[in-house]
Amino acid sequence: MTTVDQMDGPPVTGGVLGDSADTWRDPGTREPAVPATLDVPTGLGWRQRNRALWQRHHVRRRRAQEHLASSQNPERGLPVAPPRTVVTYVRDLLGRRKGLMTLVILANALAAVTGLAVPLLLGDLVDVAVDTEGQVPQDTLTRFVVLVTLVLVAQAVTTYLAKWLAARLGHGVLAEAREHVIRAVLRLPLGKVESASTGDLVTRVTRDVGAMSQSVRWALPEFVIGTVTVVLTIVAMLFNSWVLAVPTLVMVALSVFQVRAYLRDAPAAYLTEGATYSRINTTLTETVEGARTVEAFGLQRERRRVSDEDIAVSSQAERYGLTLRNVLFLVMDMAFSLPRVITLGVGAVGYVQGWVSLGQLTTAMLYIETFYGPFDRLVGTIDELQVGVASTTRLLGIAEVPPDRTPGEERPQGRRLVGRELRYAYREGQDVLHGIDLDLRTGERLAVVGPSGSGKSTLGRLLSGIHAPRSGSAQVGGVELTDLPLDVLRTEVALVTQEHHVFRGSVRDNVVLARDGSSDDAVVTALQTVDAWGWVSQLPDGLDTRLGSGNQPLTPAQAQQIALARLILADPHTLVLDEATSLIDPHTARHLEGSMSSLLTGRTVVAIAHRLHTAHDADRIAVVQDGRIIELGSHDELMDAGGEYAALWRAWTS
Amino acid sequence: MRDFPPPFSAFTEDATHRPDARSPLRLLWWMVRQQGDLMLAASAFSVLWMLPTALTPWVFGRAVDEGIVAGDASRTLAWTGVLLLVTFLGAGSGVFYHTVVVRSWLVALYGTTMLVGQKTVQLGHVLTRRSPTGEVLSVSGSDGDQFGGFMEIVSRAVGNLVAYLVVAVIVLQISPPLGLVVLLVAPLLVLTSTPLLRPMGRAQTRERSRDSELTSMATDIVAGLRILRGIGGERIFGNNYARQSQSVRVAGVRAGGWAALVEAVGVLFSGLFIVALMWLGVREVQEGRLSVGELITFLGYALFLVQPIRVFFEFAQKVTRALVSARKAVAVLGQPEPWPPASYRSVPERAELYDARSGLLVRPGLLTMVVSGDPEESAALADRLGRYLPGGVDPAPLDGGDDLSGRAARKARRAAEQQRRDLLERDSARAEEPWGVLLGGVDLRDLPIEQVRRTILVSDTGAYVFGGTLQEALDPHGRLSRQQAEEAMHAASAEDVYDVLPGGWQGVLDERGRGLSGGQRQRLVLARAVAADPEVLVLVEPTSAVDAHTEARIAERLPRARQGRTTVVMTASPLLLHHADEVAFVSEGRVAAVGTHDDLVARCPSYRRVVLRGEQDEGATPARAHGIRTTTPHDSAEREGRRTP
Repeated sequence: MTTVDQMDGPPVTGGVLGDSADTWRDPGTREPAVPATLDVPTGLGWRQRNRALWQRHHVRRRRAQEHLASSQNPERGLPVAPPRTVVTYVRDLLGRRKGLMTLVILANALAAVTGLAVPLLLGDLVDVAVDTEGQVPQDTLTRFVVLVTLVLVAQAVTTYLAKWLAARLGHGVLAEAREHVIRAVLRLPLGKVESASTGDLVTRVTRDVGAMSQSVRWALPEFVIGTVTVVLTIVAMLFNSWVLAVPTLVMVALSVFQVRAYLRDAPAAYLTEGATYSRINTTLTETVEGARTVEAFGLQRERRRVSDEDIAVSSQAERYGLTLRNVLFLVMDMAFSLPRVITLGVGAVGYVQGWVSLGQLTTAMLYIETFYGPFDRLVGTIDELQVGVASTTRLLGIAEVPPDRTPGEERPQGRRLVGRELRYAYREGQDVLHGIDLDLRTGERLAVVGPSGSGKSTLGRLLSGIHAPRSGSAQVGGVELTDLPLDVLRTEVALVTQEHHVFRGSVRDNVVLARDGSSDDAVVTALQTVDAWGWVSQLPDGLDTRLGSGNQPLTPAQAQQIALARLILADPHTLVLDEATSLIDPHTARHLEGSMSSLLTGRTVVAIAHRLHTAHDADRIAVVQDGRIIELGSHDELMDAGGEYAALWRAWTS
Repeated sequence: MRDFPPPFSAFTEDATHRPDARSPLRLLWWMVRQQGDLMLAASAFSVLWMLPTALTPWVFGRAVDEGIVAGDASRTLAWTGVLLLVTFLGAGSGVFYHTVVVRSWLVALYGTTMLVGQKTVQLGHVLTRRSPTGEVLSVSGSDGDQFGGFMEIVSRAVGNLVAYLVVAVIVLQISPPLGLVVLLVAPLLVLTSTPLLRPMGRAQTRERSRDSELTSMATDIVAGLRILRGIGGERIFGNNYARQSQSVRVAGVRAGGWAALVEAVGVLFSGLFIVALMWLGVREVQEGRLSVGELITFLGYALFLVQPIRVFFEFAQKVTRALVSARKAVAVLGQPEPWPPASYRSVPERAELYDARSGLLVRPGLLTMVVSGDPEESAALADRLGRYLPGGVDPAPLDGGDDLSGRAARKARRAAEQQRRDLLERDSARAEEPWGVLLGGVDLRDLPIEQVRRTILVSDTGAYVFGGTLQEALDPHGRLSRQQAEEAMHAASAEDVYDVLPGGWQGVLDERGRGLSGGQRQRLVLARAVAADPEVLVLVEPTSAVDAHTEARIAERLPRARQGRTTVVMTASPLLLHHADEVAFVSEGRVAAVGTHDDLVARCPSYRRVVLRGEQDEGATPARAHGIRTTTPHDSAEREGRRTP
């Protein structure tokens, strides 16, 4: 994806790199990717090794927490919503589905109750067998068989309903949430989109939506099921025999401390793990995509080292998670398996003393074996839910970017574009434009030239209404550009960055962007104007042919023609062309001559030019240096004046 | 015992590991051998961990019969003690089991990533022309994960197999007929639910594919967001997204319905099994062939036995998937290098470079610029000078049969394999014949590829900027002094790159140099090439994205930085050409004229057409009609077109 030189930055001074001496590091003094404190010591006794393990565990925890903190408050990029917003948002979503929500809980409760009834019945049967000394009457047996079968059928039906309704609820909530997010993305302020790196946003709409979706689709229903089952199992155990339930309840209650400690640390651990895997993947992607550069510069060893370091860092994150889980599993395994021993002992005593029947003991033992599953799942889902909430905070954060303009009621009178005393700063206190005045004549071609970092791209962005100037004004027909609603602004002036992005969608979708609802005739005319109708009409489905990655491939020139056709349809009277961002290869350029000139005919054009021949062809040329216009006039006037432009031109042509 | 990350080092001269990539099975077996001790330990712990669950119903039954019902407290105590022992053993081994399994999984996953990375750097540009980038990456990620899953399921299956056998012995000893029922019905139950698994799998596949289309749409919207916010279309693409989102929802609910059905049928069947067992068991008790305790044991096993059977099915599935993944891994890891063996030969320090096909002679120590009417021609010439295999081939898929099944999949797989073999053969045939470029009279084929790369550096338009600090980007080997680094940045007029990065040399570049403008990236690449200071430096269009002011500065500084070294620049920019020691004009693939810029301008009209716009005859310029050029300038063809009204 093309990047705009977003920061014209501080003016380049001389040729000396400002603080070069301070920031240069002796290549020999690289910090290891994994600090030495995380190395496993050798030759220690068991006790010392154990202590060292916990020390490493604490270092790893700190690393994970640091990662969590920095990922939740990225230095660059978009804001993150507070967790409370997520709670409110989810409550709203569920609130709109109260009926379904109630049904889901009800069905799950029924499924759990029927499931818990079977061990109770089996226990009763054992009691009958003991009481009759093995001679269970035939009709009693038949009654049991019928009863258990009925309960089972009910359990199967309610299980089906519970799962299916939960899927409906989950998918409904999820679809609404992700559509909300994309609408928020599509509302992001123009200035923010133009200047922000897209990486953060891509991560959010892919990884975070994935995490949220995992959470909503799987963790949320499982959480409901888990909670209902755990609560009802406890109730059933108490109902069966409170004495026999006590060992389990005590042990489980004791384990809850460890579970809570685990749940506190787990999200940081898993987010860190996930981040290390995307790091590994990014590095490998770079190695594969840049394979030729690796070969050309002999970077084999370096790329292998970076990859090994990524894996070493990832291993540390995995070790942290491993230890966390080991502690949890140890405690939970004990907490859920010891009760069966204790219950057996207590039950034996109770049976002799006559407090409990053998059937109750059997039922209790069966409950113990089935209790671990739902509880374990509950712990797993809380984990997953936390990760989901973290992702959702980032997603809802997109909606919290404040709009950068409030459209007014005034509409432009005429087409004159005027900049007065324009100043702009990307970083506070560092103006990149120092009071620029510029009067565009209707229909003229103005070329803006100047060295990189001089502020010419910024000037283009102010003149096309993407950013509001820090002070001064940029007006069309007497109205501030940033006071116009976007759809009006688009018909006045457009910035052409020459990114040729082809969207996944039909040819029609790709062209009508600018004027939603245009007729097919208008689309065809626009395509004809840029000489593209010839090949478009040859496509298998004409205007309905699907474009974008994985669909009908286009050459760069065709993609560019589509982009030009969009502008024809948008029909702004003024165009700002930024050559700085043009990455069309020379080969492509030749095919576009005609298309480009059809677009420009009859419009006012500001061309941010890299090329002197662009400047030469223009009506007027503005030379920008260090945020000021130092020369302004036609080619001939500037040549006569003998300034900066003239010197450059002579170097070019002599 | 093997730990992660594994110390794999393969595909170099001094490799300590040689993955057996002759066939998928051999590769899997090689990976298993790399962690044999881990797999043995994992299997053993898995058995220990399963033991309590497998023995509890039996121990409980004995305790009921011998202790509780018989009223013998010491027997009760003894059996409770046995249960305690087994329980401790199981709960204690859980930690070890988990640890070795995670190790085993990660050794496979990290190991695969390492091997793919190491293969990539071994093959360099050859790999990316043969295999699609995305597929190579997915071998490291998702196929590596499959190998991890394979290692895990093997040990888990062993544990479950042992548990199943233990249970079989117990139940057959208590009651042969009932035991047989238990052992046979449990697998039958799992089998009967398999017909439902197929439509469920299909529904899930549909959901996944719609979901991945949805993700692509979101990524697409973000990638084109500047355009959407710049000229509109938010509503169209918002609605397209919403439509797809709803279709994912529908597919998801349907898949959820199937999953619910599978689960409900499972509940019903295993429940009916219990009912049958209950009925049979009580009958046996009535006949006096079974004690109450034994009945309890049977009821317990009825609940337990479904689990090992499920694990066996999972085992079968994962082995199949691991084999598919191994096939893809072999397609990457099994690719040989195309270069014929050659031994190091000393070539004089200042040797001339000669390209037979074009007749280009690059004289040592000079700055030669090559101008061509066709940019692709000069790119191909640069590739030849640097011994890079020509581009323009279609990579072959690694497997080809992914979304297909049965005969179609086999056919697609064979086609992909054939295509891959053809590419390999074509590459090595091209690499083995005389290359046609002579360095000091020696054909490049007769030099080892490392020597060629060390001597001749080609920095082309696709040169890649790796993420990391600015210092690493400029000096990836860590060989430069600060002064050398500053000089290189100066020569490429790239000081502003230093200035825009907070943190100077330690400022961090995103991957691909994202965040820099095209011009900044290009100048950084140039600075890196100058800093590498190779004997022969070949630059392809090094200033195509740079503005005229900056280009003029580079044109002045570059010759100074390369003084006395051999440099070739493919360009058509007069600002640069002014500073060349010698300019070669290439037309129709052959050198048509050689001289200085001024010289060629004076005597070669076709050169003039390519390079200059001929300001001499102002007025006649049809510039107005063509409008303003917004394209990159080095399109000599474009300029050619300008002069022909």
